[in-house]
Amino acid sequence: MVSGALLFQSLILGILLGGLYALLAAGLTLYFGIMRVVMLAHSAFIILSAYLAWRFATLTGLDPLLSLVVTVPLFFLIGFAIQRWLLSRLRPATMTMMSVLLTIAIALIIEGLLGMAFTGTQRRINLPYGSSSVNLFGAAIPVVQIVSFALAALSLAALYLLLKKTRFGRALRATIQHKEAAQLVGIDTAKVSGYGFGLGLATAAVGGAALSLQATIYPSLHWHWIGPLMAIIVVGGLGSIPGAALAALLLGIMRVMLEIPMGPTWAQTIFYLALFLTLMVRPQGFFGGRLAQRF
Amino acid sequence: MPSASSPVTLAPTTRSPAAGGGSPSRLRPVVTIAVVIAVLAFWPSIAPNPYMLSAGVVVLNYAVFATAWNIMGGFTGYISLGHAAFFGLGAYGTALLVIHTEIPPFLALALAAVATAVIAIPVGFAALRVRGASFVIVTIALVLVLQLVFQSARSVTGGSNGLVVPRPFPDLLRPEHHRLFFFLFLGLLALVLLAWLVIDYSRFGAGLKAVREDEDKAESLGVPTGRLKLVAFILSAFFVAVAGGMYGLWFGDLDPIFQFDVVLGSNIVLMALLGGVRYLFGPLVGAIVVGVALEYFVLNYGETQFHLVATGLLLAVVVLFLPDGVLTGVHQLLQRFRPQATSIRELSAEDLRAQQDERATADATTGADPATGKEGS
Amino acid sequence: MTAVAALALGACSSGGGGGTETGGGGEDDPIRIGVSLPLTGDFAEPGKGVERGYEAWAEQVNSNGGLLGRQVELVILDDASDAGRVVSDYEALIAQEEVDLLFGPFSTRLVVPASRVASEYGMLFVEPAAAAAEVFENGFENIFYAAPAIAPDHYNHLAEYILALPEDQRPQTMAVAAMDDPFAQGTAYGLRDKLAEGGVDVVVDEVYPPNATDMSAIAAQIVDADPDLVVGGTQYQDAVNLILALQQLNYQPRMAAFSTAPTNPEFLEAIGGAVDGILSPTGYSLAAEWPSNAEFIEVHNELHGIDPGEDEANGYTTGQVVQAAVEAVGCAEQGECQQELIDWLHENTVETVVGPLAWDEAGRPNGAHMILQYVGEEIQIVLPGDTAQAELVYPKPEW
Repeated sequence: MVSGALLFQSLILGILLGGLYALLAAGLTLYFGIMRVVMLAHSAFIILSAYLAWRFATLTGLDPLLSLVVTVPLFFLIGFAIQRWLLSRLRPATMTMMSVLLTIAIALIIEGLLGMAFTGTQRRINLPYGSSSVNLFGAAIPVVQIVSFALAALSLAALYLLLKKTRFGRALRATIQHKEAAQLVGIDTAKVSGYGFGLGLATAAVGGAALSLQATIYPSLHWHWIGPLMAIIVVGGLGSIPGAALAALLLGIMRVMLEIPMGPTWAQTIFYLALFLTLMVRPQGFFGGRLAQRF
Repeated sequence: MPSASSPVTLAPTTRSPAAGGGSPSRLRPVVTIAVVIAVLAFWPSIAPNPYMLSAGVVVLNYAVFATAWNIMGGFTGYISLGHAAFFGLGAYGTALLVIHTEIPPFLALALAAVATAVIAIPVGFAALRVRGASFVIVTIALVLVLQLVFQSARSVTGGSNGLVVPRPFPDLLRPEHHRLFFFLFLGLLALVLLAWLVIDYSRFGAGLKAVREDEDKAESLGVPTGRLKLVAFILSAFFVAVAGGMYGLWFGDLDPIFQFDVVLGSNIVLMALLGGVRYLFGPLVGAIVVGVALEYFVLNYGETQFHLVATGLLLAVVVLFLPDGVLTGVHQLLQRFRPQATSIRELSAEDLRAQQDERATADATTGADPATGKEGS
Repeated sequence: MTAVAALALGACSSGGGGGTETGGGGEDDPIRIGVSLPLTGDFAEPGKGVERGYEAWAEQVNSNGGLLGRQVELVILDDASDAGRVVSDYEALIAQEEVDLLFGPFSTRLVVPASRVASEYGMLFVEPAAAAAEVFENGFENIFYAAPAIAPDHYNHLAEYILALPEDQRPQTMAVAAMDDPFAQGTAYGLRDKLAEGGVDVVVDEVYPPNATDMSAIAAQIVDADPDLVVGGTQYQDAVNLILALQQLNYQPRMAAFSTAPTNPEFLEAIGGAVDGILSPTGYSLAAEWPSNAEFIEVHNELHGIDPGEDEANGYTTGQVVQAAVEAVGCAEQGECQQELIDWLHENTVETVVGPLAWDEAGRPNGAHMILQYVGEEIQIVLPGDTAQAELVYPKPEW
């Protein structure tokens, strides 16, 4: 019944979607690694960035990706500020629970402000290449999705290099792995944590712009992103970026493939099914490293 | 979840057994409950119109919901954002039983609540296997997945068309209907308050509080923390489901988007936190404040999404500056004016607490995280 | 306590005379009309459209001496597209504001709970936007839909056209994608069921949630099945997303019909002008020659500076329907008057900007929707034949 062409097409679409998930989940993983914080405002910032890209494109008529020049540094600063001036004020003992509430408060404020500024109407950017596609072995791949996937892949690669190859990356990883030890070897963990948070939020800026290319946005959309993203970081092992990327790709593909037999609504439940199964069977996640085992 | 504050500064209700131990002091909160309920029962007589009466029902519903949430949140310190899921399950369960069977509405409500509690068992098991972060993630995921399921399972739940719940008292005029349900919710509130009180005095409650103060220590002292947390979670889910079922019978229209709503869950947490999760009446106070504020915002600033911004700001302020709730402040103020009630032990506890707070902030600003070492296994 | 109960009851049955507000009593007081609309949230755009229609109606009535010689005043609350909100809004409007008349909100999801409140207070409830069949199956006798036809009948003229084609020219296969929304599904399934009965093969039948933003997977399935006819049970943005996704996959149907979206003024730009041949049902046309239409367009333009669309027309129609009943019965207040208004509407026909309307016992209107088609970048009436501005183009040109 289901043709090979449709399966191949869905596989390609799933990989493209998974790439975007991977980038967005990387940010969440980073926060968790640094502070054991479940950052519920992450997807609200994604939507905020998408709105800024949309507004930029409608005002200037330029390509929405150019808005990244402003949003990436801006989000980096906001992330730094959130870590240094809000989250670090919380009592360490109740950090996990209270940070959830604080970040949900931020998410509500962003959603409310977006609604006040742009109403609840769904928005989509009109792109000259909005309906074009590229043919690959019989599968038509929308150009917008290729662009957004490329953006995600590039940012992930940059993030990986930054963490693995630079001095700052080593300091950040040391802070994540053992804060006290990192302090002993002279790392200013407070500042590094702030930068790490900024980096996480910068991925939201990139992800939001990528999202704005290919989909509709509206203020309350972030609730529909936070669920899948949280499922991805749990399945991937809390705190593990490669784990999150793998889980993202896998779940992205499964979601699109499952739409064929199950329809779009049921297909989304795969994220939650994977989440519950992971916690039942292997709470530390499937691809997680040492850090994940501690939670 | 361990907390920075010392166990000695618990709610006044928890202190009394240690102090007096006799029945008079145990009876005092029961009398207080009776007085509070009696005072609230005046509302239908003074409400100027049926709309104000229905607003009263909404606020009472919040109060029952928040107090039931507090059985989990207050005793254990585990903050669930997903109790809206149990609320929705209670409402839909009641509605489906009433529609498809001959069961009387309030028996259906009881059955639906029991069924919800049964569903809460595996959920609680998955959520509580790991500490903190995963618990929050599971509770949010539960709401989101149930919204999807109830939207998709159109043949059973009506999907996005919603579900119309037949009225339990079809002959009542609307104002009378509100009045009756106001008293039903009031009775339910009394019941949930009593349940909280009973747990507070029980060994079970003591175990839960040990989890809240320092889960690792409690575990090493032989407290079966896993089992206790699960029972608290299920009890909490049960009472929330009763509130949901009652709401379904009163309101009459169910829609997955509005029943399974994360924002509803976070509003409930805001209420409990604002009042003070360690106090019997904390969630009730919070529900009245936030419930009235929500009505006010939407009626006066309804043109915009301002109410979201306002609730977000309020939540942030409470988390940052009032994490113990307004009742803690009131209580401390009262203590100041009542020197004879202040024993040496409490003074030292206050001091200890202040010291801890100071140290915590100092640690946090330098970025140190003393909890990580402790929490890791 | 019983005394207060009696007072509360008295307040809602004696036409607002009991409260501090002066309700229907005074000769010179304005007639206050309570409305709850989704001015924010998911349904904000159509909600605002309906609001413009209501305002145009109020403006028109007031500048012509008012209703029963009294000015009308709209009391509008925002329900934020929330079913819980809409109920307490109408509760507040009836019991606290003690308004004299009610107008309905937007969207089926909001109309069903709202109509129960109105029904339990015995109020007439004319509504502009809940077209789904379910709205009329709750046994309320006070509800009236102020538009030509309920959702399942929107495509009736198109169904007749297709089934009248010679066997070998008819579309043989069709794909249906509908939003999980009572109105959107209603329109698409009305057409699907009629064509399926007539022998058209339904090869794809998908439902997506109202908040879906990614249509590429559904589009892939449609393209894979390659049907002659594609039908979208859509609101606005979902239609844009679906069409773009179909175009990305280079799909060329012989006929494409989408509910609601194509009549939106922004539609053309949103899909980059590639609209040629797209079909859509509508209840209202600027070009229609019903007696009050010219006046409506003029007032609306004066007040809002733009031509009215379908939402605006439905709001205006609601006003016209209530106005006709009030003028015929000669009263506008809470209490027994409301039942007289309800009874009058069940027995009479009202002239409106969407044509003459009459209702069955459940409040369903008896008309039919027109079918529009984009010819080039112009949208024109193509069905039914007697009001058509152009011939229906089939098979449709490539998009």
